[in-house]
Amino acid sequence: MSAVTADAGLASPSRLAWRSFRRDSTALIFCVIIVIACAIAILAPFIMPHDPADADLLRRLQPPGWMEGGEWAYPLGCDQLGRDILSRLIAGARISLGVGFAVVAASTAIGLGLGVLAGTARGALDAVISRFADILLGFPYLVFAIGLMGMMGPGLDNIVLTLVLKEWVVPFRIARGETLGVSRLDYVEAARAVGASRLAIMRGEILPNILSPVLVVATIRVAHVIIMEASLSFLGLGVQPPAASWGSMVADGREFLADGWWVSTAPGLAILIVVLAINLAGQGLREAFDPRLA
Amino acid sequence: MTVQRLVEKLGHLLVVLFGTSVLTFAMTLATPGDPVTVMLGDQRASPEQIASLRHDMGLDLPIISRFGAFLWHAVHGDFGRSFFHRRPVLDVILERLPATIELTVAATLIALAIGIPLGLFAGIRRDGVVDRLASLGSLVGVSVPGFWLALLLMLAFSVSLHLLPVSGRTGYGGEPPAVTHLLLVDSLIAGRPDAFVEALRHLALPALTLALPMAAVLMRVTRGAVIEVMKADYVTFAEAKGLSRPRILGLHVLKNALAPAINVAAIEIGVLLGGNMIVETIFGWPGLGRLVVEAIFSRNYPLVQAAVLLYAVTFVILNFIADALQGALNPRLRA
Amino acid sequence: MRRMLVVCALALFAGGVSLVRASEIRVGFTQDALTLDPGNPGVRDTETIIRNMYDGLLTRDSAMRVVPEIAQSWTQPSPTVYEFKLRDGVTFHDGTPLTAADVKFSMERVLSGKIGGQTNPRKDLLGTLDHVEVVDPLTVRFVMKAPWPLLPAMLPFQEIVSEAFVKKVGDDGMVSAENGAGPFRLVEWRRGDSIIMERAPGYYGGSPDILPVGPARVDRVIFKVMPDNAARVSALLAGDVDIINALPVSAMKRVEDSGTARVATVNGTRTAFLAINNAKSPYADKRVRQALNHAVDRKLIIQRLLGGNATPLNGVLSPDAFGFDADLPEYGYDPAKAKALLQEAGAAPLKLTIDCDGASKDIAEAIAAMMQRAGIEAKVQLWETAVIVPIWRDAAKRADHDLFLTSWGNASLDPSDIVMPTLRSGGRANSAAYANPEVDKLLDAAETEIDRDKRKGLYVKAQELIHEDAPWVFLWLPKDVYGVSKRLHGWQPSADGKINLHRAFVD
Repeated sequence: MSAVTADAGLASPSRLAWRSFRRDSTALIFCVIIVIACAIAILAPFIMPHDPADADLLRRLQPPGWMEGGEWAYPLGCDQLGRDILSRLIAGARISLGVGFAVVAASTAIGLGLGVLAGTARGALDAVISRFADILLGFPYLVFAIGLMGMMGPGLDNIVLTLVLKEWVVPFRIARGETLGVSRLDYVEAARAVGASRLAIMRGEILPNILSPVLVVATIRVAHVIIMEASLSFLGLGVQPPAASWGSMVADGREFLADGWWVSTAPGLAILIVVLAINLAGQGLREAFDPRLA
Repeated sequence: MTVQRLVEKLGHLLVVLFGTSVLTFAMTLATPGDPVTVMLGDQRASPEQIASLRHDMGLDLPIISRFGAFLWHAVHGDFGRSFFHRRPVLDVILERLPATIELTVAATLIALAIGIPLGLFAGIRRDGVVDRLASLGSLVGVSVPGFWLALLLMLAFSVSLHLLPVSGRTGYGGEPPAVTHLLLVDSLIAGRPDAFVEALRHLALPALTLALPMAAVLMRVTRGAVIEVMKADYVTFAEAKGLSRPRILGLHVLKNALAPAINVAAIEIGVLLGGNMIVETIFGWPGLGRLVVEAIFSRNYPLVQAAVLLYAVTFVILNFIADALQGALNPRLRA
Repeated sequence: MRRMLVVCALALFAGGVSLVRASEIRVGFTQDALTLDPGNPGVRDTETIIRNMYDGLLTRDSAMRVVPEIAQSWTQPSPTVYEFKLRDGVTFHDGTPLTAADVKFSMERVLSGKIGGQTNPRKDLLGTLDHVEVVDPLTVRFVMKAPWPLLPAMLPFQEIVSEAFVKKVGDDGMVSAENGAGPFRLVEWRRGDSIIMERAPGYYGGSPDILPVGPARVDRVIFKVMPDNAARVSALLAGDVDIINALPVSAMKRVEDSGTARVATVNGTRTAFLAINNAKSPYADKRVRQALNHAVDRKLIIQRLLGGNATPLNGVLSPDAFGFDADLPEYGYDPAKAKALLQEAGAAPLKLTIDCDGASKDIAEAIAAMMQRAGIEAKVQLWETAVIVPIWRDAAKRADHDLFLTSWGNASLDPSDIVMPTLRSGGRANSAAYANPEVDKLLDAAETEIDRDKRKGLYVKAQELIHEDAPWVFLWLPKDVYGVSKRLHGWQPSADGKINLHRAFVD
């Protein structure tokens, strides 16, 4: 590994990085957006103006409040079954963001753990886990998702499980790579020479050093998972009706792009804004922690 | 690359292939759903006919025999008959493969052509106008869901401006004689500019839809690599020695920046191959992605198994090539 | 090379302009053909394409009447024998004459139940046919094992192939090679992309009962594969194609407003219904099932969700089907009555789940919302078709399920193809677990009743009983919606989904 990593490893990178991150105001703005989105998701049941599942065919494809034919009680208009889009957007935030964070949290934890294990243990254990990761990586994403969802049936927890099974490979590979690199460094060799147990080495020396690249990549993955969940919902494999994720809302509105463009546009924009904010915040994080990855 | 490494890599490939087959087979077993029901639909069918169909599909054999038979035949290149097309699976897949290859190669070339130069420029002149614009653009590029981008592009270029065709791979004129089955290449070989242009016009939107997100990723990775390299000691040393800027760029920066870009490109191609089903459906592109997902929904097991194996092989080979290229470009990274 | 670059550049600029085409019709179609072998097309969409290149003994006109095609006339000397006289001078596309031997070969090829070593489920479409005899080069005799009044209704599904040709290319070759006796012949099949056909010069002219008679009126027909709805509609509006099938409701207004294309509809053949699990309590009680029928406002759903493109049904059959009973009373939308019936049956409060597949999600949700208003706590559960259909066909697997939003096609427009499988006890697709011995007796008798009026009477009686029993929530018959360019004439949609372009032409 290059000389840069070793340097960064010595001089308390975390605190330096956080300080520079806080100074970067654009990244902060986008963090605020993310916090707002999360707040919306958490407070959803209290702030929805209407019941997102309340279908009334007479309000089918009603335009948003500012357009002719719309009313302000339904500010973003109604979908093809007459349900309030704003309420569904808020309810959908829960699902899209919830799935995004849950999947990344779980897959990062698993990937990190297995990656460090494989990197330190090496030998047969490393080979087995790595081959398993290769198999999963080479499996086409959609085929895997459709197949697994077909097996387990539809539902939110199954989506999370499916996505975690595909996602853990990325933090695994990074963690393993970084572990292999770090464990060759002098102070780790020194610790081993002194007789420190493998677990102690992992916790004390390796983990702090590989945490930052893994976490930074995790932020990109949240955005990616949100889009994958949206794609799966777009294909009809996602949540059960009447619940809606942003992805399934975009899919529903696909038929009506000409005379009901608001049905797809609102959730599409929501995905774009949140994902963009996460990516920008993540970029800020990366620039602060390790410009190499920016 | 030593013979030992080569053998090692081959070993990996075999393990991955076997593991993929087992996984796919297990999934087909564990997934509920009956291909015979899907196939018959509302047609009159007597119980004898239904039993006969199940026998044809091998569904009345015990699991181990089915898997064993599949492996045995697969090793000999026989992947069985597709339940729906009533033709050998390999034929059906090979028919649709060139279209997917053409799309993937085109998208990759576009992505490389946009992403790497932009990344290089942005990295060298960091924080300049190009850098800021490109960085923002690339962030949007990875944030837009693919299906949305496809619909937007179609609305813009086909429906509103009528510049490009809505869907499909070919126009209504005659097709050039098939040599490589890649329309762009075949039409050039046959000296048919009209066919070439038609193929290009149809390829444009789907390739662009796939290329833009990939270009965004490539741009960011290249930029990052360039920045790191420019900071490294040996560059400042070379500058101190008095080498001209272009020389430095050419020798050190390019070589080192390309390495991670190629690594990422290899992974992204794998992703493209596995996930372009949505784009293929929206643009009516007659490729493998669409075929495979239809096969899953209709429980066309033989086709699914063969296709997944094909993807796995491609992925491993791509990674292999990427590793080799990386090693060649930057011996230091040959860890 | 340089010249080619210049030509390329010019062509690129000119590419946006639509090329002038010699008379050609293009169809934007949802699916590619699976095979070109009429012996086993596999799905209806494939048959639609093949039917332009292969003719049959009989066919249907756009009003779905059965008329002779390659056959000139037929008689029925006895309840189990049909005799067909063939037209003289019919040839296959390779020039060889079509004779009785080819008819015998085509029928017995399907009857054998196997094509290319693979099971051919089309065998059952020939019912009780035992064998076919050649009387003379232009006369064939169909000998049945038992009387089967459906034969004339089912023969339009069978096309005639050339015995010599099949023997030459083999069953496997029939998948991609074509030698029929239809108005068009194959030029090229680009898999997954399009099928190109051209006028067959030696065509005998087609059925004299459908005018005009003669060769195809356009030079070429192209079926372009476009599975995506939005892409198909865009192609029609851009003038790239002249006909599209499966026009989505949401696009109808745009097509009508475009000025260059119009919407064409026809009664379809798929009856949509909500199967109720008659074997599960409380649905065994007729009042509960009738209550469910009263709880759904079919007309509103048809109007709002289907754009008016469906005919409400009070029973099983399409209004165009043989034996349709037009006098069945309606289970009107009456949530108060539904509530009352449920109370009376002691089933209130009722909680249920409606199973549906992805395509009918919106309709299921609308129905669930309506049921809520009748005090029924209704939920929707999405499934993959391949998964939910087998579940509902197995008595053990469906034990816990309540309602299933589904449909059944009846392309022959004969009750035998729909009522038998779905409502006779033990029927292959009797998801509702309906069992009424009286209805069974009527249906079994109608299977072999040759007298048309008597047969009709049996089916009418059966429909009345079924209506009273309400094993389903009766819904509607969706129309097939097509988008047609205004420059296309001479073609109307037909209920069996055929797009036969023999007599179509463009301005």
